[in-house]
Amino acid sequence: MVMIMKLLYELKPEQYAVLAPETQEDVWYCVPVDLKFDHKVWQAEESFVKGEEYLVVTETRILVLSGTEILYEKALAECSEIKCETMVGCGIVTALAEGKRECIVRFSMRHIERVAYVARGADLLAKGDREKVVSHEFEKYCLKCGRALPGTSRCPKCDSKNVMIKKFVGLCGGYQWKLLAISCMMILNSGISILMPYVQRQFIDTKLVDKSGTIADVLKFVGLMLSMTAVLITVNILRNWWCVSLGSLMSMDLRRKLYHKIQVLSMSFINKRKPGELMNRVSGDTRQIRRFMEEVFGGMLSTLFTMIATLVIMISMNARMTLYSTMLIGVVAVLTRVFWKFIHKIFHMQWVKDDKLRSGLQDVISGMRVVKAFGREEYEVTKFKALTRDFCRVQKKNETFWALFYPVLTFIMGIGSYIAIYFGGIDVLEGKMTVGSLTQFVTYTGYLYGPLGWMTHLPRSIMQMITSLNRIYDVLDEEPAIKDGENSREIEIQGDIRFEDVTFGYNSYEPVLEHVDLDVKKGEMIGLVGASGTGKSTMINLIMRLYDVDRGRITVDGMDIKEIKQENYHAQLGVVLQETFLFSGTILNNIRFANPTATLEEVIRAAKAANAHDFICKTPDGYNTYVGERGFNLSGGERQRIAIARAILNNPRLLILDEATSALDTESEYLIQQALDRLTEGRTTFAIAHRLSTLRNADRLVVIDGHRIAEIGTHDELLEKKGMYYGLVTAQLQMAKMETK
Amino acid sequence: MEEFENSNLLDIEEFDEEKMKAESADLLELRFLTKENAEFKRTKGGFVSLTYADKTYDRVNVYRTFPVSEPDAYISIREADEKAREIGVVEHLDKLEKDQAEMLREQLKLRYFTPEITKVIDIKTEYGYGYFNVVTNFGACRFTIHNGGGAVVSLTDTRIMITDLDGNRFEIPDITKLSAGERKKLDLFI
Repeated sequence: MVMIMKLLYELKPEQYAVLAPETQEDVWYCVPVDLKFDHKVWQAEESFVKGEEYLVVTETRILVLSGTEILYEKALAECSEIKCETMVGCGIVTALAEGKRECIVRFSMRHIERVAYVARGADLLAKGDREKVVSHEFEKYCLKCGRALPGTSRCPKCDSKNVMIKKFVGLCGGYQWKLLAISCMMILNSGISILMPYVQRQFIDTKLVDKSGTIADVLKFVGLMLSMTAVLITVNILRNWWCVSLGSLMSMDLRRKLYHKIQVLSMSFINKRKPGELMNRVSGDTRQIRRFMEEVFGGMLSTLFTMIATLVIMISMNARMTLYSTMLIGVVAVLTRVFWKFIHKIFHMQWVKDDKLRSGLQDVISGMRVVKAFGREEYEVTKFKALTRDFCRVQKKNETFWALFYPVLTFIMGIGSYIAIYFGGIDVLEGKMTVGSLTQFVTYTGYLYGPLGWMTHLPRSIMQMITSLNRIYDVLDEEPAIKDGENSREIEIQGDIRFEDVTFGYNSYEPVLEHVDLDVKKGEMIGLVGASGTGKSTMINLIMRLYDVDRGRITVDGMDIKEIKQENYHAQLGVVLQETFLFSGTILNNIRFANPTATLEEVIRAAKAANAHDFICKTPDGYNTYVGERGFNLSGGERQRIAIARAILNNPRLLILDEATSALDTESEYLIQQALDRLTEGRTTFAIAHRLSTLRNADRLVVIDGHRIAEIGTHDELLEKKGMYYGLVTAQLQMAKMETK
Repeated sequence: MEEFENSNLLDIEEFDEEKMKAESADLLELRFLTKENAEFKRTKGGFVSLTYADKTYDRVNVYRTFPVSEPDAYISIREADEKAREIGVVEHLDKLEKDQAEMLREQLKLRYFTPEITKVIDIKTEYGYGYFNVVTNFGACRFTIHNGGGAVVSLTDTRIMITDLDGNRFEIPDITKLSAGERKKLDLFI
């Protein structure tokens, strides 16, 4: 089950009956809330709700329902501006009714995202807009078992365990020869391990006990044991070697697939996750798979195989003694588990203390200037002393515990052998068993008890592997939100762009743009103006088709942008962004990024047009200069000009400049402005700039405010209007005046 | 820039420098709301209105400035729009008339949700998450935290704050008041 956020919880029939006695109207949204709000006195109470309480939105009403009791009810027609307000650790939904804002419901952070969607949905309904709000976000907890989901869309515990094991098997499928070889080694390993005590028994019974053997027999025995041990070691080396290489190959394979998928997936997917989290999946989770293959997989099967085979032989040798000596297996398993859990706990605490100590140290050392400047050395020393003392105390305690109890644990692990020796010893004395058999039996008992400690970790290792695999396949199975349809075509863009009633938000409960109409003619330059966070960059993201619009459409030369092949469309775009991103590599490669087949002459022409040729020539390595992280240090202006050259080289019909000249010194700004003027000539251009002077060549300016286009027109028209643009320009002029004073 | 200057449509003197200065001076001032100069009233919808300096605000929001150390002192009263400009500060709730202070306390109750844990029933850890089953002053409650990585913060030696996966915050005001068994369950996280 894929856990998409649920906005319509099921109510019981009697609850529906209370909701819609006559009209039978549909319930649009229904989500749980958890904090008590008394509507009689309009006050929050410091209590969770008793039983279950829901915020319900039907076609015409908004209600709060507790069991079969309606706590609050209002016709949507009487409300406006229904919204979710975030408080501290909680949230409320409020609406404007009869000119007064009223609080409808209160809930903790657990429900806030869900309720925010519903508030938005209710607001739309109140406005008479019958669009249903849907959430594409994932649940945080499994709807079935309530466990936290580790950033996956399925629950690793209750849903996809079998699916994941199948996926794991499928993953191994590509390496069947290696797996076969590893299996052979495992069987060999078990075989030899089981055979060795048998050889010992033979030797003891036939040569030692009746003293019939000679020196030669002893030598032969030692030789045999030595060579068997040698074979065993070789087998183990081979097995481990192949396991390691299998693990590396598998994790490489997964890493490659993940990387490819992340490139293909739309921005909306990337934005849903933190960049660190995706990086973690590529490196951390694949590492987890590798470690599982290396450390667990190889040992797991051969240990299980050895244990079963040993048990069968033991029973066939002496069923009664097997029963006695294995009696305590359960107890020992529980004891070791408890022991390891405790060890893990106390050493985890030690680790936490160590971490605190280290971060405290780092804090003070990096802030040394401040400490000294304020004369707080003494205080810091005392603080640090307390931390080290604390750490020392915990460490001493833990190490003592370890030193005392580890030998005890080893003793407990060997307890089965004592039982075997006791009962076996009696049997030997009574002549029911040979000395050799006893030796063999005792060794086998050790085989059964030995891996218990390791086996208690097994479920955890397997679960960890499954969780990692889950997180990996979560990405691999994701379908890109923006896909080329069957009818998508390749076109040669002329440059007419139209926004037709476009509405879009990164979350559907928070629209960034609403009902935007804009008609841009081929070759026109449009300046986008507005305060930050108003949606300028969002408009550009939509033009670049990094996201698809929620409603309405964007057309290019009269054709819906969704019908153009993405690769074909993007190849005809030129983009210069505020944060110039140069990849590690030479200047040449960076300029050729969008068009790797461009000739050197084309590259130089592009660089010249971008006013970049000069400074590139002055670097020692010219166009072969290595840039990017740890590369040649370029100034902001220089990087920007390389980015412009990159955009020019592509000869785009459609150009996007997002704050291309911000944060540059005046001289390089002038050079870049010149370069940009050349670049924008004859191309449809969308430019965002905070410094309005950079937009002086724009044919029209679009002022965005309150999710809409607030003003549109030429520079002079807008100034005459004395609206928002006028305000912005006067403010900037005043600032400039102050600076020159 | 010259182009703008030359443009005769624009009269630079119209730019109101005085207004801007006044606005920034306004930000600097610390205004105290007292029982003499301010009056709060409950509104029908569950909020409070404020009359101060000849101005009436239909709804104001009430913020704590020291929510952890001084929950009743320096209460910031702010406008209810997105900008949330500060209207003034109440030095201490006790310095207001009783009913006025009570109104503000109600608003703080609405705004802040920091349940106090009074009893730890059970804590289970599984695959990187800690599942808490506790009793709070709000009633019984289950929540989940990330193991490791700052979910549990010590405010003082005895006072801790726990943040769950959703961002809810739970407080244990005095850990020494918990039983030895409860403290043992918590040990792993502190």
